[in-house]
Amino acid sequence: MKPTPPHKALRFLRWFCRKDYLEEVEGDLIEIFENQYENSPSAARRKFVWTVIRHFRPEFIKVFGLSQRLNSSSMLLNYVKVSWRNLARHQLYSSIKIGGFAAGIAACLLIALFVLQELAYDKHYKASDRIFRIVRENTWNGDLSKGAHMPHPFAATLIQDYPEIELAGRYNPSVSFGAGGNEVRRIDRKLSQHEENIAFADQSVLNILEADFLAGNPNKALNEPNTVVITESIAQKYFRDDDPINKIIILNNDESTQLKVTGVVREFPLTSHFRYQFLISLAEKEFFEGEASNWRNQNYITYIRVNPETDVSALEEKLENMVQNYILPASIELGVEDDVSWVRTTQLKLQSVENIYLNRSEVGDGLVHGDIRFIWLFTAVGLFILAIACMNFVNLSTAKSANRAKEVGLRKVIGSNRSHLIGQFLVESILLSAVAHVLGVVISLLCLPYFNSLLGAQLILPENILWPVFIIIISIISTGLLAGIYPAFYLSSFKPIKVLKGKISTGVKSSALRNTLVVLQFTISIALIISSVIIYQQMDYILNKKLGYDKDQVLVLNGTHTMKDKIYTFKEELLQVPGVSSATISAYLPVDGTRRNNGGWKTQGMEDHESVSGQHWAVDADYIETLNLEIVKGRDFSAQIASDSQAVIINESLAKALAISELNGDEIYNWLGGWNVIGVVKDFHFESMKNKIRPLGLFMRPSRRTMAVKVSGSEIRNTLDAVTSVWQEFSPNQPIRYTFLDQQYASMYSYVKRLGNILTLFSGLAILIACLGLFALSSFIIQQRGKEMSIRLVLGASLQHIFHLLTGNFVGLIVIALLIASPLAWYFVNAWLQDFAYKIAIHWTIFVYTGVFIMVIAFLTVSYQSIRTAMMNPVDNLKSE
Amino acid sequence: MKTPSLGEFEELVLLMVAALHDEAYGVAIMEGLESKLSKSVNISAIHVALKRMEEKGFVKSRFGGITSDRGGRRKKFYVITAFGKEALDQQYSVRTDLYQQIPKISFG
Repeated sequence: MKPTPPHKALRFLRWFCRKDYLEEVEGDLIEIFENQYENSPSAARRKFVWTVIRHFRPEFIKVFGLSQRLNSSSMLLNYVKVSWRNLARHQLYSSIKIGGFAAGIAACLLIALFVLQELAYDKHYKASDRIFRIVRENTWNGDLSKGAHMPHPFAATLIQDYPEIELAGRYNPSVSFGAGGNEVRRIDRKLSQHEENIAFADQSVLNILEADFLAGNPNKALNEPNTVVITESIAQKYFRDDDPINKIIILNNDESTQLKVTGVVREFPLTSHFRYQFLISLAEKEFFEGEASNWRNQNYITYIRVNPETDVSALEEKLENMVQNYILPASIELGVEDDVSWVRTTQLKLQSVENIYLNRSEVGDGLVHGDIRFIWLFTAVGLFILAIACMNFVNLSTAKSANRAKEVGLRKVIGSNRSHLIGQFLVESILLSAVAHVLGVVISLLCLPYFNSLLGAQLILPENILWPVFIIIISIISTGLLAGIYPAFYLSSFKPIKVLKGKISTGVKSSALRNTLVVLQFTISIALIISSVIIYQQMDYILNKKLGYDKDQVLVLNGTHTMKDKIYTFKEELLQVPGVSSATISAYLPVDGTRRNNGGWKTQGMEDHESVSGQHWAVDADYIETLNLEIVKGRDFSAQIASDSQAVIINESLAKALAISELNGDEIYNWLGGWNVIGVVKDFHFESMKNKIRPLGLFMRPSRRTMAVKVSGSEIRNTLDAVTSVWQEFSPNQPIRYTFLDQQYASMYSYVKRLGNILTLFSGLAILIACLGLFALSSFIIQQRGKEMSIRLVLGASLQHIFHLLTGNFVGLIVIALLIASPLAWYFVNAWLQDFAYKIAIHWTIFVYTGVFIMVIAFLTVSYQSIRTAMMNPVDNLKSE
Repeated sequence: MKTPSLGEFEELVLLMVAALHDEAYGVAIMEGLESKLSKSVNISAIHVALKRMEEKGFVKSRFGGITSDRGGRRKKFYVITAFGKEALDQQYSVRTDLYQQIPKISFG
């Protein structure tokens, strides 16, 4: 028997070698092998393999590489050309296909921009894994509460006691201590301007949060008392071309406290939770006597930076000592039993700086937070819209398959195999996807400013363009493949003979798939519509609910405290202005952004720990009249009755909590002493609708930060002008700053409104895309059944009958979609409504109305083509075969 | 037309083809060269040279008959063309010419 050369090597040779060389080469190799085999079989084998490998070189390799590449590249051109012709021939389909897709992509891109920006918060610190905020957790009566405020000496003690902590610093953003909104001016200028972003801070906070100094000493700027670090834009605003360093600014016209500018930092990034523009030194600062050694009052948000390689969880455990050694003893010393047992539950945690922003409302820190639920919601909505757009794509492609069937058949007959056809359709869908993406990017760029105002956000385009481009290319290919894969497999499966004989099933087989997709599209659209309707209803409910006070035509003047005692004459002057019916001086107004405090109220017989937590508002005699609160028992304050300076008017909640049912001259007590209850007002909403109305007591004390002015009549403009001129008389160096109470109220719920707007926009988009798809689909099906309808007409079918036949199918699909969408939407919106203590009940009519609305839209969409078919002269359709 | 170049190994193979006249096929050429040069020659190099020279028109080829040897594969025989002979002649004359010009000096 002849020896056989190594099998694998031979197979390899046969695989790569040119057919016209193979016989010679293989023959020669085998001859050599056979000759050598007699001497040494193994050497012969080795030699054979080696020689085969030596032959693996361009001269011998089959041209499969080259000729096929040539072929497919010229075919590629053909695919593109055919795609283009198809697009051009069916302009309606094409524009719906591409336009719908592009709209979906644009929406998706905008949402992605928003979501990415939200997720990018506080990721920019170089040492972000070593920066933490101290958070306390207390469990009281089964409720977990979290707070970020720490006592004054906390940060300094941390540095002392824990060597692994590199830096510790505090800041105080509390309006009660003079941070927040203030009137600012240079000491050498007259004009004060209002600034919002003011806080007190330690030097080390600037170091921990990596403030980028443009001027001043980055490590010592806030080491001295009465110094301030400002941001670039503030420096520009107040100092223009002057060097701001060592210049003096003052707050609220108070020349006794002069703040020296010792540093200018770059604006904190948009994606930072910490965005103050004035940071006033906390060095040697005590807001009250003995604060520096006071472990009871907690007013400072405290950050730390730990040394590299610190075991964070071990450090967290060791923080227990802070409670045991300092906070608890201080509480025991005070001797309030409840407080002691509350403090005993305190646990100190380290919250990574990266988690601060998205940790919605869990930690009470007074910051603006993102809402991870919104991010999820938006991501879901974006994906849904993209899904609807993709479905359109699939649906239209399969629906149109009949038109392509002959092409597929012919291509198969002249030698194209299935993989070529799949390739062709995938190329086509990727091509369309690319066009749609480019269009989508353009649309999203154009819509960005509008989207920003709708969202109340400041979305900016990423600076680095490489990543987005990369992602878009990936997306072009992946959505192209995703949307094209089904049509590709479906279309390429046509049997050429059947197709060319004209016996194609016109895509009837895939009608189940198409119907499913239509149902899905409408389910998503309907769910979005129901959600936005309910959100709007809740918004409407909030804005129009009887609040217990009159928010209309109340002017709120801000920053009036700078007038000091002149404010009383100012008020008198204002009351002379025609159109002003009353005015009240109080920093406490029933809208967000005005003062609040919290403390215990109790009656004579109550122990300290039984006291009712509530608000203590300093108002003046005209407060109840100006805000039109309703007195249910007793009487209003009177400026004439001297004893009213010790009188209190309480709301119903407080009356109920203290069990005061009749007014018998009872006294109630807070930390300021005893107050004589002279009246009870009906509960009014002074906080967000998310909370139940809490106990509140009003008493007459000066608090001059804001002033509420009730105006009446129709000449509001003139009244405003008159008020402004009175203001200028009293406060010439400070521009008047006013809002209307109802506007301020509405702005408390602007996020609800924004959510509603966004959902409406997207549900509109979803329904539009779905309807575009439905329109194209219906016109396709009608086209397919055109002849059938014509014959029916000839045989005497009525117009109505035809119409019914053509639209009935779609109506059924939409009813199914409605049935699926309603419980889904109900579930999610209901979960959202749980945020509110005061909320609407979801009424079943909403579902009915939405259903009818959708049905009408879908009906209109479908009926255009149906009626056209039904009205057509049957002869036109039947004369050609 | 410029005569295509003839590499050194190609020249050797071409000479072998001419010498073996009508009996020149891959393995024969290889064995011939191996015995003349006293070193081993890989068949792949010969195949490459043959293909190149066939493209240049120095040799032409034909298939032989089927035998039971070589796994039933036919031999491919090469013969030198007139053009190939011309190229060889030209190469030879250039070399001889140059060789003649070496001055008669003693290397002893």
